[in-house]
Amino acid sequence: MSAHPALSEAPPRGEPSAVPRPDGPSPVRPRRLLSHRRREAYAGLLFVLPMALLFIIFRFGPSLAGLLLGFFDYYPGDTPEFVGVENFKRLAEDPNFWTALKVTLIFGFLSVPTGLAISTVMALLVRRGSRTVNFFRSVYFLPVITSLVVAAAVFGWFFSTGGPVSSVQSALGLGDASWLRSETLVILALVVVNVWTRYGYGMLILLARLQDQPRELEDAMRTDGASSMQRFRHLTLPHLRPALFFLAVIETTASFQIFDLVYLMTGGGPARASHTLVLDLYERGFRNLEFGMASAIGGVLFVLTLVVAGIQHFMLGRDRT
Amino acid sequence: MKMPRNLALTGVLATSLVLTGCGGSGAENDEAAGADGATGEVTMWVYPILTDEAANKKFWADTVQKFKTSNPGIDVTVEVYPWAKRDEALAAAIASNTAPDVVYLVPDQVPVYARSLETIDSMASEDALNDTQDNAKAAATVDGKLVGMPLLTSVTTLVCDKRAFKKAGVSTYPTTWDEYLALGPTFKAQGIDLSLITADASGTLNVSYYPLLWQAGGDVLNDDKTAAAFNEAPGVEALDYFKKMYDGGFINKDYVIKAAPTEQTGVAKGTVACTWGVPTQDLVKLWGAENMEVLPPLNKAESVGYGTVGSLSMLKSTENKEAAMKWIEFATTPENSKPLLTAASFYSPRESAGSLYPAGSVDAALEKLVPEMTVGAVNDKSRAVMGVLTPEIQAAVIGKKTSQQALDDAAKAADALMK
Repeated sequence: MSAHPALSEAPPRGEPSAVPRPDGPSPVRPRRLLSHRRREAYAGLLFVLPMALLFIIFRFGPSLAGLLLGFFDYYPGDTPEFVGVENFKRLAEDPNFWTALKVTLIFGFLSVPTGLAISTVMALLVRRGSRTVNFFRSVYFLPVITSLVVAAAVFGWFFSTGGPVSSVQSALGLGDASWLRSETLVILALVVVNVWTRYGYGMLILLARLQDQPRELEDAMRTDGASSMQRFRHLTLPHLRPALFFLAVIETTASFQIFDLVYLMTGGGPARASHTLVLDLYERGFRNLEFGMASAIGGVLFVLTLVVAGIQHFMLGRDRT
Repeated sequence: MKMPRNLALTGVLATSLVLTGCGGSGAENDEAAGADGATGEVTMWVYPILTDEAANKKFWADTVQKFKTSNPGIDVTVEVYPWAKRDEALAAAIASNTAPDVVYLVPDQVPVYARSLETIDSMASEDALNDTQDNAKAAATVDGKLVGMPLLTSVTTLVCDKRAFKKAGVSTYPTTWDEYLALGPTFKAQGIDLSLITADASGTLNVSYYPLLWQAGGDVLNDDKTAAAFNEAPGVEALDYFKKMYDGGFINKDYVIKAAPTEQTGVAKGTVACTWGVPTQDLVKLWGAENMEVLPPLNKAESVGYGTVGSLSMLKSTENKEAAMKWIEFATTPENSKPLLTAASFYSPRESAGSLYPAGSVDAALEKLVPEMTVGAVNDKSRAVMGVLTPEIQAAVIGKKTSQQALDDAAKAADALMK
């Protein structure tokens, strides 16, 4: 929807117009404006430069080198030796790598949609500000700032034999086996903990977006007799789409890189049922000192994240209204 | 084609996904010559061998001070790092040329870092070499070359809680596998676990499955260390034994997959009868020495347990090799290491040390068992082998695979690693 021409042509108060107007005061020269803008651009660049340099040195450069190292055989202290795609071939022939890839994908595909759904629901629940609601906003955000080590210890007990979950299971006649000992349930347990630790962040992002939603439109829909589900589907959800796309990418990346939670809660067990790609990378790199192989896994993970982000862009991010 | 070293270093750091932390040392020649000629700076990385941080710091400060008196030209700096992520820190330091001059290593680490370690056969004094027990030297020897000077040894044996035995009405302590397993139902009836045993992937098998494997007469690798041997009959027997404890409900099943800190386990609650996986120092604190019954390792084909050997190794990048060697020899003499060993319940690898503990004490009983200990296969792939074996042990124990199938699968992966 475009604005009324009269509105769109009027310059904001205090800013000179570059367009000559027959009935107005003489315009500022375009050349002067250009030079002003250029100066502003240079200033902006100067401000950005330190961060950009840090990013290139400490993020982009090492990432690129990490990708390249996947094509080398490297032992710490030795000179790396180029081995072509040998590391990737070894990975392709290694069933443990495929297990780790499968576990990572399953974890991501369970964790991301669940997390987004819960974040959305929570954001909708606390969207209207009041003292009570503000209190709950803080409470819901607490898991984000809770130490992952503490969360892992608490949930480790939560899912252990004799813990709350196993006690409920036992009462229902389902046995008292720990979820962390079950090849099927261990991923679900990790998804629960991961979602618990991250939904507050998603809630915050979506809440910010919800604050921008014009209330008049919702009132109008309500007046027209739209149900709450219709209002959510046709108004709120399209409005949230850019934020959801952002969260989907961030959460997918985070879930594909899951390491600490798995390391702390299951160590990748039982029998590799929760052995993720980054855990595999860690073990090959720091247990076996096979840094070339570890970097090759990093490369695979990078491509995987890129592909999934592309798919998400296709599904969620095309129409950034 | 060679890759620039700096680029590789950066890559290592990227690959680690910011998992690493490292420190550094600068080993520069000190021109001020000491009385005996050796000069310079020596930096050593150690870990909290004494869990009491203050006592640990004091021991090393005192030792450095004593060393300085007789070696005024050598400045030693001891940096104490946490045990956690020590390999990440050391690997990153070696890769970035900021490695220390001397580092404390355990047998699993020695072969992994062997390429970065100095051979000290010809640098160490004959007296020190002759005085060090052969099994301790073997733990610091790779391809026939000594790359570390043993500082301490330990004993991992069967230790039982007298109170648990009393509660269960058991008066005879087990010596064999069969006797031990037969006690399972009796202890279970009293809510007591027979043992605390784990196959946690982030832990070590040296104090869980491997002792069973050795007791059954097997070994991790074959004689020439070129292929896995754990899938032979003794390995299967050992894993079956582990599984019997699991299936019988004689051990905490959750800990098989993921170990918990000792103070959170049944050992601390008094609901574990015996263990061979918990450091005796911890047992003294949790059970009290008066409640501990120290026994020889269980016997199947033989009675054998795991004993670590902590060594001080010199890095190849060390500039002041003579000074570093002097420090290593000084720190590992029985006279200088005794306060550390006795405070941490370790034992000396030196024959001249004699008995460090008073007769009748728990440590004296443990000290007698030192000859029955082994470090197992010292090989640069031993930790990687452990990495592929652990999940398969889990698979067998939880019933996903048979013991033979699991060990064969692990052997296949291990053999690929050994190539």
